Amino acid sequence: MDSKPKETCEVTEIKLSMEASAIAVHDLHVQYRSKKGKSVEAVQGLSFSVGRGEIVGFLGPNGAGKSSTLKALMGFVQPKAGRAYVFGLDCGSIDSRKRIGYLPEVAMYYPYLTPLETLTLYGELQGLFGSSLRKEATELLEQVGLGESLRKQNRSLSKGMLQRVGIAQSLLGSPELLILDEVTSGLDPVGRKELRNLLKQRQKQGATLFFSSHELSEVDMLCDRILLINQGKLIEERKLDTLKTDLRHFAITYSGDVILNDLADKTWSESGNLHTTFQNKELLIQGVQRVQLNGGTVIDIIAQEGSLEDYFVETIGKAAA
Amino acid sequence: MKIRVWKSLARGVLLDAIRRKDLWVVGILGFLVVLCAGALGFFGFDGLEVFAKDLAVSVLGGFSTIVAIMVSSRGMTEEIKNRTLYPLLARPISRFDLLFGKFVGAVVATWVSFLILAAMTGIALSFFHVHFEAVTLQYLFLKMIGLTLVCAVGQTLSLVMTNSAAITTSLIVAFGSTLITRALGMGYSSAPPSMQAFFKALNAVLPQYGLFDIGSRVSYSGWGTAPLWVVGALTAYAVAYCGFMFILGWTKFNKQAI
Repeated sequence: MDSKPKETCEVTEIKLSMEASAIAVHDLHVQYRSKKGKSVEAVQGLSFSVGRGEIVGFLGPNGAGKSSTLKALMGFVQPKAGRAYVFGLDCGSIDSRKRIGYLPEVAMYYPYLTPLETLTLYGELQGLFGSSLRKEATELLEQVGLGESLRKQNRSLSKGMLQRVGIAQSLLGSPELLILDEVTSGLDPVGRKELRNLLKQRQKQGATLFFSSHELSEVDMLCDRILLINQGKLIEERKLDTLKTDLRHFAITYSGDVILNDLADKTWSESGNLHTTFQNKELLIQGVQRVQLNGGTVIDIIAQEGSLEDYFVETIGKAAA
Repeated sequence: MKIRVWKSLARGVLLDAIRRKDLWVVGILGFLVVLCAGALGFFGFDGLEVFAKDLAVSVLGGFSTIVAIMVSSRGMTEEIKNRTLYPLLARPISRFDLLFGKFVGAVVATWVSFLILAAMTGIALSFFHVHFEAVTLQYLFLKMIGLTLVCAVGQTLSLVMTNSAAITTSLIVAFGSTLITRALGMGYSSAPPSMQAFFKALNAVLPQYGLFDIGSRVSYSGWGTAPLWVVGALTAYAVAYCGFMFILGWTKFNKQAI
């Protein structure tokens, strides 16, 4: 008898806290039935939130459950359990979708329509009409570099160009939240840079970005925060600036009979010089001071940025183990 | 707002059908019919008016049914297969709106191709100095209603089976409708009383396309028009059956993971 009111309170509490977020997911479970009829749980109790105006990267290896989570947020699949809200609204509801721009994982658009007709169709479904829609569609297509292909049929466009059509359609109507699945897929370096600028511009205008990608360099350049998932579970949630600080390493090369083992991460000898790495700047400063005080010579100081790729591989490896 | 959404979706289907050359194929076939009729008329076919009309009505019915099946069956399956469904359903529209808009588009594309073909056939028949009676208009109207039914069945089947299976089943049901109804009637007469309800139910579930084909009244002069209440009843049947098919398809599609 008591469990029901408690549950209602919990739901209300979660919902209230979720209204402050752009996305709020609580204990989400998504299940699929495979072609052989076997149940596969793609997402297993995922909980996270994305604040308004944030850029959050959603990372994980293939089959980790990223696309399934995004599909659940869009209402393409019904969660088996758990709750997800977009701006405090039930995920997948028509009201929540009014505020979202979505880019699907695989960019496929009507082959016999032109990019302009494609955007006009989507815009009309978004509730935009007339000359303002046409103007916005044309401007967006120009912004993504398709100004000269407005009237070519989609079937004659390359994969990268179709991805640009996809990006343009997701930006129609200036949505408050952009959910982008594999956003840089098929784009050349120039296209990636243009996209980055476009997305940053949208963020400045107040949009929230939540995207999945395998391109860690893009994540590095765009995100405020990352969520790392594996086998349908959240394994890490980090702010990118603190993560980068944690991953940063400092190294010195010096000569002289000075021992730094108590400060060092790693020490080795090469070509008559000693090399030492430190976990942070404070230890590095102490090390340099000790070398100088003990008559040694500091030959070189290097600050090394940690690799996001190494972090990704290592963290996923640990989680899998 | 909803009407605008349906209109946009329907326009997309029509534009796609035109660009795919579906309607052009119909036009070309119609033109060939005109050419053949012209050639036959040139060599003289006086007295074969009934034959010519019968042939024209059969060609018209056959081709337009094929177009209806192709356009309606591929609509949703291609959306799902090609993943063009995602950006559509990412918009603030319901799955009902999407299905209905696609259905309207398939119906409009079918009607347009039917009317093109009918116009072509009319030109072809003029080579035989054929006179059209009022029943021709009734025939066109009922045929369009019948084609709407074909589209509803085609779209619903495409939601519960693969594209090719939906097309094959639709073709069998459409072209074998009269035969199936007759076979079910025979089955009903010869079945034991306990089984008769089964045949009756099966017959009620199957679409009665044959009822919408009054081609014979067009071919044979003097039969006159069908009573208006019959036309009204058939229209009501088509609306009810399309509604039934639509609800069936929507029930499946509404909760479907995509």
